[in-house]
Amino acid sequence: MTVFKAQRRAGIIELSIDDEGEQGVAQSSVLLVEDDPADYRFVQRAFERFKDEIKLFRVTNGDDAVAYIAGEGPYENRGVHPFPLVILLDLKLPRRSGFEVLQWLRSQRDSIHRLPVVVLSGSDEPKDVNRAYDYGANSYLCKPNGFQQLERLADQFEAYWMKLNEFPNLQS
Amino acid sequence: MAEEVLRTILLIEDEPSDAELLLRGFDKAKVLNPIVHLSNGDEALRYLAGRGEFYDRIKFPLPALILLDLKLPGITGIQLLQWMHVQDEIKRIPLVVLTADDRQETVNAAYDLGANSYLVKPGKADEIARMVNLLQSYWIALNQPPQLVMAADLAN
Repeated sequence: MTVFKAQRRAGIIELSIDDEGEQGVAQSSVLLVEDDPADYRFVQRAFERFKDEIKLFRVTNGDDAVAYIAGEGPYENRGVHPFPLVILLDLKLPRRSGFEVLQWLRSQRDSIHRLPVVVLSGSDEPKDVNRAYDYGANSYLCKPNGFQQLERLADQFEAYWMKLNEFPNLQS
Repeated sequence: MAEEVLRTILLIEDEPSDAELLLRGFDKAKVLNPIVHLSNGDEALRYLAGRGEFYDRIKFPLPALILLDLKLPGITGIQLLQWMHVQDEIKRIPLVVLTADDRQETVNAAYDLGANSYLVKPGKADEIARMVNLLQSYWIALNQPPQLVMAADLAN
């Protein structure tokens, strides 16, 4: 039942049956917008255990985030660059900032404006947090300092967004 | 200082048996935050606006998290979302829709009106307990809340 539900969603890129053939596993794509290579490796490692559930795609600046979401330029092929189920968005980015990406996304006329965005930022400044919510972030997470905390963050993210949340339809 | 105060969770749910299960779930999950349970859309609007019997923000603080059923007596959950969506401060409060309605158009409408997340109520008590656990650990423990005017600030 879960599998059928998952199939309707955007961002599901493949369905696979595990070795025991007992359970269908839907793999969802998550777009990570992160310029810092060390932070990227860190996040990638923390999400490693969910490689059957989450396929992480990464862009390194705000302009590329917009191009990826719009499916333009090098991101035209949705087979290679699938539309994400959710975005993990850093705020301090080269070119367009995370705030500008959010503003762009929420002002789109077609249904992609609903795409859920979870901010993942090094800043816990109230002005950044408030601004992110005002621009339409669904959730705001602070980058933790230690790897274990980041693994816990990945656990929570996967359990909440991948298993529990109902996503909007982005095709209508 | 305001951060040390355990912030309120506002549960807007008219179905007594669902509310009972959710409240029991919060209890089981050892959620210490005060939970305000309202069962009517008009009442919820007055609470959030700080009107009528809820004028005292020290006694009735803005919540850190809102859990909203959509089918309500008085104004509906969707109407409440419409109102919240145009309020400067209240629209920032993380809001999770918690409803039996899993129709895609309702899900879309809720996100368009600024819902942060949308959950379909599970049927079984143990599934509800698990969901409440996750609601607490994600939205209360992990998520960074917006800065709102707190009761402590108003008291000064």
